[in-house]
Amino acid sequence: MSDSEPPDPLRQLSDDLDQARLRADPANAPGRGDITTGGNALGFGLRIGIELVAALIVGVGIGWLADRYIGTRPWGILLGFFLGSAAGIINVFRAVQNMGGGGPGAGRRG
Amino acid sequence: MADQGLAGADEARARAGDARVGKKLAAEVSPPLEQFVVKPLVPIHIGGLDLSYTNAALLMTIVVALIMVLLLVPTRRAALVPTRLQSVAELAYEFVANMVRENVGHDGFEYFPLVFSIFMFILFANFIGLIPYSFTITGQIAVTFGLAIFVFVLVTIIGVVRHGFHFLHLFFPPGAPVFMAPVLVPIEIISYLSRPVSLGIRLFANMMAGHTMMAVFAGFTITLGLFGFLPIAINVAMFALEIIVCALQAYVFTILTCLYLRDAIHLH
Repeated sequence: MSDSEPPDPLRQLSDDLDQARLRADPANAPGRGDITTGGNALGFGLRIGIELVAALIVGVGIGWLADRYIGTRPWGILLGFFLGSAAGIINVFRAVQNMGGGGPGAGRRG
Repeated sequence: MADQGLAGADEARARAGDARVGKKLAAEVSPPLEQFVVKPLVPIHIGGLDLSYTNAALLMTIVVALIMVLLLVPTRRAALVPTRLQSVAELAYEFVANMVRENVGHDGFEYFPLVFSIFMFILFANFIGLIPYSFTITGQIAVTFGLAIFVFVLVTIIGVVRHGFHFLHLFFPPGAPVFMAPVLVPIEIISYLSRPVSLGIRLFANMMAGHTMMAVFAGFTITLGLFGFLPIAINVAMFALEIIVCALQAYVFTILTCLYLRDAIHLH
């Protein structure tokens, strides 16, 4: 294509923009508070319900497989159920921790 | 390989269901789950494998082609003042770029192409599934779970490569007493393993539930006769909801990919 080389003012503008972005980003990066605003909130709500169930499925699934192939008949699925429930509650707890606009890294704590 | 057998079984079941509905309506109302049947279009059998080109594969091809058109055509002659198509492409780019920047951080920006591809693919697949007589590939659990497992394995590999043995600290919260380890570690492992499950099931369940409901209400339209306008009204509202859900589920899948990437890059 016959791209004419960008004139000087444009490059100046581009540099200015880059610098402005760099300056703005450190302020932006920790502020993850907007995860609960607008349409994002709905997505967030839909997200939480399945977290609980998924952990339960995995826990019971592992227990069932252990019962089947290692022969720990009733105990695998029982233990798996309780561990899965706990993991599900932890999942939901962690997901909710990110809400409420906690400070930088509020959701990072395990 | 299992798809064809499954499809055949589904069709048989669908026909049996039709026969039970009643003689009058059998020909008019199609079963609501019929839309999810994977049908082979070009049968290809290599060895014992069924590699047929199915309607799902066709829709995936269309999705990828559309994304290519959207992204390549306007950027071929990119202008400083963007055309309509170019500004759509730029909007999508900026949206995902901001998401990666805010949720993964600057050092995670090298994974932007992956996140962007996932977002565009799911978004287009969801929306194309809304067109009547098309096919919803994100309503197939094989597709969504495949995507989720792909993300999960990739994120785990990134974490192990970046942190090595230290990656295992993800499974033991810092500061917890050591004697709690036998309880905490299995819980953390289950919590970690539940990620691809929740990721895959969420997208699949949302897409499939919405489309099934619409098909059920559309079926009511025929059976209700004179009062058929009521289900139509509901379906109009449902369609609006489905549009929200389509965009939202693509967003949720992408943002969770970002959060998992952040976990793998920064650990806790």
